[in-house]
Amino acid sequence: MSRALVAGLLAVAVAVAVAVAVSARGGPTGASRNVKVVLVSEEVDIQPGRPFSVGLVMRMRAGWHTYWKNPGDAGLPPRIKWRLPDGFSAGPIQWPVPERIPAGPVMSYGYEGEVLLPILITPPSRIAADSVTIAGTFDWLECSDVCLPGSAELDLTLPVRSGSPRPGRAASLFAETRSRMSRTLSDWSFSAEAGPRAISLSVRTPAGFSSRGAYFFVDQPLVVDLAAPHGFEHFPGGCRITMTPDPNAQRPPQRLTGVLVFDNRVGARARRTALSVDVPVSLGDPAPAPKQPQRRSLPRTYYVAMLALLGVGLVLLWRIAARLRRA
Amino acid sequence: MIRFATFACIVLLASASAANAAAIVGKQAPPIELKDSNGKVVRLEAFKGKFVVLEWVNFQCPFVGKHYGSGNMQKLQKAYTQKGVVWLSICSSAQGKQGYVTGQEANTLLEAKGAAPTRFLLDPKGSAGKAYGAKTTPHMFVIDPEGTIVYNGAIDDTPSTDKADIATAKNYLVAALDSAMSGKKVETAATQPYGCSVKY
Repeated sequence: MSRALVAGLLAVAVAVAVAVAVSARGGPTGASRNVKVVLVSEEVDIQPGRPFSVGLVMRMRAGWHTYWKNPGDAGLPPRIKWRLPDGFSAGPIQWPVPERIPAGPVMSYGYEGEVLLPILITPPSRIAADSVTIAGTFDWLECSDVCLPGSAELDLTLPVRSGSPRPGRAASLFAETRSRMSRTLSDWSFSAEAGPRAISLSVRTPAGFSSRGAYFFVDQPLVVDLAAPHGFEHFPGGCRITMTPDPNAQRPPQRLTGVLVFDNRVGARARRTALSVDVPVSLGDPAPAPKQPQRRSLPRTYYVAMLALLGVGLVLLWRIAARLRRA
Repeated sequence: MIRFATFACIVLLASASAANAAAIVGKQAPPIELKDSNGKVVRLEAFKGKFVVLEWVNFQCPFVGKHYGSGNMQKLQKAYTQKGVVWLSICSSAQGKQGYVTGQEANTLLEAKGAAPTRFLLDPKGSAGKAYGAKTTPHMFVIDPEGTIVYNGAIDDTPSTDKADIATAKNYLVAALDSAMSGKKVETAATQPYGCSVKY
């Protein structure tokens, strides 16, 4: 290794160490070994009596993930202990649709890459101060092959200003995150049936909707065997998703709650339609639908490797062609 | 190139759809035959007639750290082995994965932590872990003297890595053992275990 490179690496290491040390003392940013966190606000200032959104941005190092509200077979969702000014209250975390993160027979639900977890803050109708500080302790579990607890003390100071709200730098991230959240739509209807062989979720879809498959992220523990692939089949006017009951469930669930994600195509682009589900469960003996292979998005490194291989292949072909021409 | 990509896809799909076994409450406990930390072969059937606790463990997992760092797990091991319960700690971390230990390393760790399981079993191939559907560390099972699973799940009701939570948590394992050992039905016989994934 050259001396310059070593010096460069050292400089980076020192910069990171300083950044971590600084963030540990508060401010809107923090970090653990594998996750950077930033407390952001959707708007640059706040108005008395008008609820506003803040959010926790989590940036995971490649190969690391954090968890959804139902972490699945292992893991732990992030936890926030707020320290808010008098009269302020914080709503629950609004969870974006998670990814499936399988590891052998253990299925986790969580986030890779980057995620924003929005939270609605309601201020009192009168605020005497010119600015307020929203602070909290943020705890999470970060896992790759191994798991580590992460924690940060974060705070964010926002000016109080009358007039109409002004979007801040993070506004587009909030908008994009909301567009990918699960929704409740009136032209869809669900019904659920549970039996010894399967838990079946039937969906009446609006005219013109088609999908190749679906996955149901259940948010209740001990209902579904998460590692078993779901079944999927169409029927006239809708489709049915079947899940394997958790073998240790002591009784069938009374309601089925979670997020249903369709794997559908619009033109050439893959799209995910995500719907919030909360339906009563009737008892019966639904048959399992044909299993669909469990898919998960391939990591970016896979595509990079494939491109690199393609490049090498082209160079080789070009060389062979050149040699043939000379011969 | 295309063939390789297809092959890679098939491998990825196949590895993602591994079938799942499990120890089911009310059913017979799957057999176990593993070497312990002293190199002796241990069979579960040898403990018929006694209550058996199975504790899945990975000493590098922060959830396990919560229960050993606070002394909670050691306290339970001592309390129940004194009452005649057989306590088997099982490590299913594969060689090269987090938490993997040789017998000697396990013994050193057990001594340093003041742990007191009846035996510490080495399951680097994950055969016992997969037969029981052990998903997390910790993941606790209770087997009655007839060899029936009477509890499968979490150690307590407060999923966290925070030692301070132990004082206020409801300990499911204690409740299950106390009920079963006094001849009562275990009220909460299955719960969602919490912890790190088992490093198969």
